[in-house]
Amino acid sequence: MQRSQTILQRTLSTPVILIAILAIVALAALIVGTGPFNQTVIEIFIRIVLVVGLYVFIGNSGVISFGHIGFTCLGAYMTAWLTILPAMKKSKLKGLPDIILNAKLHYGWGLLAATIFAGLCAYIIGKVLMRLSGIAASIATFAVLAVIIQVYSNWDSVTGAQSSVVGIPIVRTVWPYFACAVLVVIVAYSYSISRSGLALRSARDEAIAASASGVDITRERLIAFVISGAMMGLGGALYAHSVGVVTPDTFYLNLTFICLSMLVVGGMNSLSGAVLGVVILSSIIQLLRWFEKGVDFGGSIVALPLGVQEIAIGVVMIVILMFRPSGLTRNKELSWPHWPFKQLPAGRSRAPTG
Amino acid sequence: MKTWMKTGLGVALSALALSLPASADDEKIIVGFATAQSGFMQAYDKPAEDAARIRIDEINKAGGLLGKQIEIVAADTKTDRAEGAKAGLEVLDKGADLVVVSCDYDFGAPAALAAEGAGKVSFFLCAESVKAGIQGVGPHSFSASVLAAVQGATMAEWAYTKRNARNFYRLLDTWTEYNKGICDGFDWMLPRLKDAKLVGEDTFKNDDASIAAQITRIKSLPQEPDAIMLCTMMPGAVSAVKQIRAAGIKAPILNGSGMSGSYWLSAVPDLSGFIVPEQGSVHGDDPNPKVTEFNATYKAVTGGDPSSQYVYPGYVMIDVWAKAVERAKTTDADAVVAELEKMKDEPTLFGPRTFTSELHHQNRGRYLITEITNGKPKVIDEWTISEAIPVDYLASK
Repeated sequence: MQRSQTILQRTLSTPVILIAILAIVALAALIVGTGPFNQTVIEIFIRIVLVVGLYVFIGNSGVISFGHIGFTCLGAYMTAWLTILPAMKKSKLKGLPDIILNAKLHYGWGLLAATIFAGLCAYIIGKVLMRLSGIAASIATFAVLAVIIQVYSNWDSVTGAQSSVVGIPIVRTVWPYFACAVLVVIVAYSYSISRSGLALRSARDEAIAASASGVDITRERLIAFVISGAMMGLGGALYAHSVGVVTPDTFYLNLTFICLSMLVVGGMNSLSGAVLGVVILSSIIQLLRWFEKGVDFGGSIVALPLGVQEIAIGVVMIVILMFRPSGLTRNKELSWPHWPFKQLPAGRSRAPTG
Repeated sequence: MKTWMKTGLGVALSALALSLPASADDEKIIVGFATAQSGFMQAYDKPAEDAARIRIDEINKAGGLLGKQIEIVAADTKTDRAEGAKAGLEVLDKGADLVVVSCDYDFGAPAALAAEGAGKVSFFLCAESVKAGIQGVGPHSFSASVLAAVQGATMAEWAYTKRNARNFYRLLDTWTEYNKGICDGFDWMLPRLKDAKLVGEDTFKNDDASIAAQITRIKSLPQEPDAIMLCTMMPGAVSAVKQIRAAGIKAPILNGSGMSGSYWLSAVPDLSGFIVPEQGSVHGDDPNPKVTEFNATYKAVTGGDPSSQYVYPGYVMIDVWAKAVERAKTTDADAVVAELEKMKDEPTLFGPRTFTSELHHQNRGRYLITEITNGKPKVIDEWTISEAIPVDYLASK
């Protein structure tokens, strides 16, 4: 490898390969063409947005966050507020400001507003929290999640409290979800090779050395927190448009842990890990569901008892982590020509020497 | 290093191979159940679904619908909203002419919205929120049960008329929309009853270990209320009732249909003066002998007696939908909806049903009044509220 190559040139293959994987998933939906499969693929893309969002903060900073799903909730409600018919809002969500109450925007604007709103909230929250590190930071993020969910579960006139918010336009084509997943992968990749991303990764691996070299850890963490918060908001908005109903309890512990486990199983410190974790775990879940429904093997139908899927996915995760404690990708990135793996600069073991 | 990539690819390919599209069949009419076959909603969905299947069997044995046999397809929502949307799409892909969705509005809505998007009729098995229908899904969506508000209104008017109750106390468990719905109906009815007044009100949460504070406030009233409107449901309801009686409060306790059935009575021995509205009696004493016959069929098919009145809406649902299809002479959604909306006090085994272009739910309905005395439930009366609850009032709640 030539020393003169930039980071971009050396690592560009990673996002290209990841996007190619996403394209294959999208094409699969197109080829199969059934409603439920299409919806499954949409769900995979939403999960990719969420897990990559988690990766941007957790992967780069090394601080585990339990609170990011809170931003997902913020995003989902934001797009709901903007895209529901005004007549419906006036009867159920009377407490909204007039400007929102009378708005009926296209879902594209909803997605944008959700992203910005979640990013903004992440900035305000991050400003306080990013001074913490280690377990204190993790628990503080969890507290943020609890606060957000409690507010949204009880603020009757604005969020409808625990009742479902309905009337959100449903989008059932794969392409907007695909586009968002691609966008998120590109942004996450660009961030991790940017000056701030590299500084944060160095702080993750050697905090003292990094701050001695002039890295302002709090500031770099805040940048990652805002970008990842915005991505989580986008994911929430996409979820709202894929199902058409939002309630606060959707965005709580279940979603938090499934997203975190997908990230950990894939490989917490690599973008490829985030994407592959989602694709592989979702495929296994889907496969198990088909087996639960019964599969025809040459005339005899084999069916697993209902509920086995939830148990089996837990076992699969344990097995993966037994053999690959640092995740399927071993925290490395997919790359070419060093197929399949290579490390990003400032990786855990050794920086590339060129 | 590459083995897992192969595994991943293998998984993806087998996923592709397994999901072959199914096609609709013109020789059959297809009813799709996008309901919970696992998770906690299964306990609510399964009994009503069994009742629906019994009605489908009856129709098939009698020669089918429009001369065609009804076929059932099903998909599991796993008591999850995102899975619910998928389950709805799956039964639609299998050609469902009617999409049956979960009992609860929150969990049934994603599948119902999928059906609405495909222009098909959807029916909530037993949701009792006004949103389960036009207001929360769209013009092709219905619910087979009766609104929770009607239950509260029924209890208030009945107690006023038959038990001369004038001083009411209202105790609301704020846990679910259903509970609030019961109290909304009570609130609407109370001002319409001359001389009736609310002497006090309070709230609690279903999982409160103790409602001693609330009970103290009831006890400190100058006079014990004539009736307590208790808007709550399982599992917290049992503990609340037990505590009220243990404190020596003897006033009749009125509740919604959520407390129908006798399965919980052993937890409050010798309970008396506890009154609930029911669409049909599961205790074998329904004034209509056909209901008792149905209970026997249900036992023969499922191996157990109906546990509560929430079995019945499933049967009603297929009944009214099949009638509408017969009258429309097609399963086309718009034609079927038009026929359903013409139904006014359409008789069913479990009370009359009315649908209008404004409301695909019951804002008035006949209820059996069941009283529990010394731990034994018994149907003591029948009541239909004098006036339907206005749709505007329901929608504003």
